[in-house]
Amino acid sequence: MADSNSTPFYHPEDKVPLPPKNAEVLTTCCDYCSIACGLKVYRWPVNSPDGGPKKSQNALNRNYPLRPGQGGWVGPNQYTQATHKGRLHNIAIVADHKSRVVNVGGGHSIRGGCIAQKVYNPQKPTQDRLQHPMIRINDILMPVTWDFALDIAAEVSKHVIKKHGESAWALKYYSYQFFENTYALTKLALKSINTPAVSQHDHPAMVNSVPGWVDIGYDIFSASHEDFSLADCLVISGTDPFETKTTLWNHWILKGIHGNNTKVIMINPRRTAGVAYAAKHGGLHLDVNPGSDTVVHMALQRIIMENGWEDKEFIKKWVANGWETDSGFGQGTRNTPWQWRTTWGKFQVKGYEGSPKHFKEWIYAQEESKPEVAAKIAGIDVKKLYQAAEMMAKPKANGERVKTSICIEKGNYWSNNYLNTASIGTLGAILGCGGRPGQVITRLGGHQRGGMSGGKYPGWKSPYKVPGRRRHRLDLDRWLESGHVRFAYVVGTTWIQAMAGSSALQDTFKRLVKLNPNQVRSFDKQTIIDTLKKRVDSGGTVVVNQEIYLRDPIGNQYADIVLPAATWGEEDFARANSERRVRLYSKFYDAPGEALPDWKIAAMFAKKMGFHGYDWKDSNEVFEETCRFSRGSRKDFNAIRVMARRKGMKAHDYLRSFGTTGLQAPLLIFGDKLIETKRLHDYNRKDIPDTGPQGVTITNKRLLAFKTQTGKLNLVKSPWKLWSDFYDFMQPKDDELWISNGRINEIWESGFDDYERRPYTQQRWPMNFIELHPDDAKKRGIESGDLVAIESKRVPVQTDFNLGVKGGDMWFSGLMKKGHIKLATGSLSAVAIVTPAVKKGVAFAECLHTSQPVNNIAPRVPDPITQNYRFKIATGTVRKIGESHFKHTFAQMTFKRRDIV
Amino acid sequence: MPSKQDKTPSKSGCMSRRAFLFRSSAVVGGTVVLTHIPGMEGEALAAEIARYPRMLIGKLSQLKVDKPVAFNYPDKGANSQSLLVKLSAEAGGGISPKHNVVAFNSLCTHMGGLMGATYKPADQVLGPCPLHQSTFDLTRHGMVVSGHATESLPQVLLELDGDKIYAVGMLGLIYGRHDNLKS
Repeated sequence: MADSNSTPFYHPEDKVPLPPKNAEVLTTCCDYCSIACGLKVYRWPVNSPDGGPKKSQNALNRNYPLRPGQGGWVGPNQYTQATHKGRLHNIAIVADHKSRVVNVGGGHSIRGGCIAQKVYNPQKPTQDRLQHPMIRINDILMPVTWDFALDIAAEVSKHVIKKHGESAWALKYYSYQFFENTYALTKLALKSINTPAVSQHDHPAMVNSVPGWVDIGYDIFSASHEDFSLADCLVISGTDPFETKTTLWNHWILKGIHGNNTKVIMINPRRTAGVAYAAKHGGLHLDVNPGSDTVVHMALQRIIMENGWEDKEFIKKWVANGWETDSGFGQGTRNTPWQWRTTWGKFQVKGYEGSPKHFKEWIYAQEESKPEVAAKIAGIDVKKLYQAAEMMAKPKANGERVKTSICIEKGNYWSNNYLNTASIGTLGAILGCGGRPGQVITRLGGHQRGGMSGGKYPGWKSPYKVPGRRRHRLDLDRWLESGHVRFAYVVGTTWIQAMAGSSALQDTFKRLVKLNPNQVRSFDKQTIIDTLKKRVDSGGTVVVNQEIYLRDPIGNQYADIVLPAATWGEEDFARANSERRVRLYSKFYDAPGEALPDWKIAAMFAKKMGFHGYDWKDSNEVFEETCRFSRGSRKDFNAIRVMARRKGMKAHDYLRSFGTTGLQAPLLIFGDKLIETKRLHDYNRKDIPDTGPQGVTITNKRLLAFKTQTGKLNLVKSPWKLWSDFYDFMQPKDDELWISNGRINEIWESGFDDYERRPYTQQRWPMNFIELHPDDAKKRGIESGDLVAIESKRVPVQTDFNLGVKGGDMWFSGLMKKGHIKLATGSLSAVAIVTPAVKKGVAFAECLHTSQPVNNIAPRVPDPITQNYRFKIATGTVRKIGESHFKHTFAQMTFKRRDIV
Repeated sequence: MPSKQDKTPSKSGCMSRRAFLFRSSAVVGGTVVLTHIPGMEGEALAAEIARYPRMLIGKLSQLKVDKPVAFNYPDKGANSQSLLVKLSAEAGGGISPKHNVVAFNSLCTHMGGLMGATYKPADQVLGPCPLHQSTFDLTRHGMVVSGHATESLPQVLLELDGDKIYAVGMLGLIYGRHDNLKS
């Protein structure tokens, strides 16, 4: 598979051609993390003269050599070759050194810096891109035509919908890979078919990652990147932006640390380079145990409130009181997607302070909010809690308030989803976070923001119910396991390894697909259709996988039909980044073989199924259709279409004219003026006319206030006991360790792509790894470079389609009692790295390694409040198998500490 | 401990000077010892070296463990700042009987930060880069340990002739240049 196509030893080049003066220049952005650095693509034909080192001789308009510190260098990994209009061209993809936003001065990450190697090049490891539609016949995937493949997919789909109902037709897809594609895919699934069996790459159901903030009223991407340089204190929970938000760290956070004396508090079990750097520059590392964040937040709140350090003025103006919380004919906080939460009264408070039913008194009444108790649960020195509270909230010597910002990512919300997000949200509320320069609360983001929905999710069709007559969205993994998915359309995600308890999930696919007796053994189209119909009628599943590479196992082992997708650089696309900046990603080379963009494939598929509304001629037409559905949203970009029409342009071309800067949404039009939005909840904003919305412009409440019925923040409780039964079960027993997992700098939001095919990345990370504390390693006789087996025989997997009737039915202990949790096994191998950078008792592996997936041992019991998986909370045993090849060679992998600063 | 497994024997039958030098590398203790680079056949290494100047940069007997010596290579032009260092551990491409003497260009390959004064003896690491904190493993061909660099640190190929250390070539492109031999 992929590994065999990678160069085992990286041999770096010592020269690279420069683009000549007449090279074509196009703009795009990096395809990976949510910062989305602006890039320039230089293209010139092979066998035409290269550029020279003088400014007058190259299209970069720069004198070579560049001086130290100057960005925008063309290194060997920024260069490749690709065909454009059938002719081979040289391609250089370089960070835009003229960028004034995002990657100011030409910054880039190790991932985006090497993005030229992503480009399909038949002479490089990307040569195994999917190029033709394929059908599995006699268990071998063989090329067929588009019509042949899609006729079969459409006929089987129609049969499934007619005979088994639309809920038997499932879409599992990426949430992020450009507006045009996500819109077309969801238009098919949600609008045309109207199935509830839809989920995105990172969740079992269509749910929000930060539900606590939804209830409180915080938008999850409200900040501008500049805010990170303006805070006095920056609290970063569950991630290290040094590793995962490179240019945000390199430009804005370092600017804050060095220019604004920003103190950075990192909440993370593991010490990475950013954590170490922050601590060295006056910051603090709260090295909490995995899953213990909520009590840390509650203790910080208690210390802050006991000292009277809360932002009283902000609370008075922007925190809802009891009447406001319950206003709107009793809807109040119940008017949320998680209505049932407040019906039980488990979360709602009557406002900030005044009675036992208010927030402050509730916190004071919790045993877990006592600093000593919280410190013990979190496994940290209690002094750090007092120190952190002072840094966040103690007034300055001159009496001024400390400007504190909070940002979070997956370590926070994929361990204890609801309680962590609720409690860090309320911490933000009492600190006055939200809507002011340097005083914001936001996600840092994972993938870029490329989701647009082409239809409304039919929540009423989901059969998943919990006590209180409340309904959950459909859990697709459990729906599949229960045998209800007869047709699975899997687009751009490794469904199996990307989900939790993935070994058990793989068993399910095997049972439903491979072990079903109805397998295709003929090239006759009707016979194939009849065979697959028999498969679905006998309780089996047909899988269609739409991808850029043949993925193992979803494509390689289970797909009946594989469809080749065209991607970044192979089509014009639009997308937003983590500060809501919308930009055009230009097509600059030919897609391989017959590969087509996902929107086009979805449209062809839909038309063959007999649906209307898919006659788009190009991606611009899809984009223009999506524009109006963005109105009023965080990334409202409808103004792009409106302004383009006024100018007689295509919307894509109008957006393209803003280059790597793009337009920061929500976009508003007043008269002829296009107005961008720097940050949300900006209640001091003055550029929106008092006259209110005009024409096509919607001024959503979140622009000038918070996202609740009153525009004020709703405080919510975070009762520890709602989590503690599951947490107790997951605690390491006997010789187990916490096996946490996460991203690393070199592979981050590029796992969906081609990192296995990059020799430069493969020399660094040829296998999955596991960081172990020296004491834990010594006890097990493990040294750096040893190959180890990581196993669990008690991976909890929630099974069966079941209904919650009584109060405790759907909590972990209730499910266990009723037999709805099975204990599965899971295992993976990894190369040991012994380092004091991880906490004793906690091991850490890369989260989405496809051939050594740590999700094999991740618990598949979603948060019962929110249906988010708790990927980071896994436990297992670690034992030595032997020595890895890398222990005794110098060419691949390094075992040096990653926290040297 | 890392051993010598990644030494690649030469396939060259020709006894040109470069090929001879490379073949010699498999015989530790010979009079002339050259950097051995994994994955590079004799011809490839010889071709790499043929473009570069042979430059005397120091004497083995004068190197002290963990005390880097600055030099310029392959010329004295922009960004040629390099370090010769005797490590306390064996290294890929290392010369000397202990295979612990290596040399690298000292500009960070991310954005050209100057790392000449950042050697960390305890870990045999160069960095963190003063600009954005990238670090590089000098025992493993300048591979990035942590950070943002899109290339390994360019390794200077070394040749030991008696006690004399010569720089004879480079693996990887120096930051800011488009060709190592054009400054």
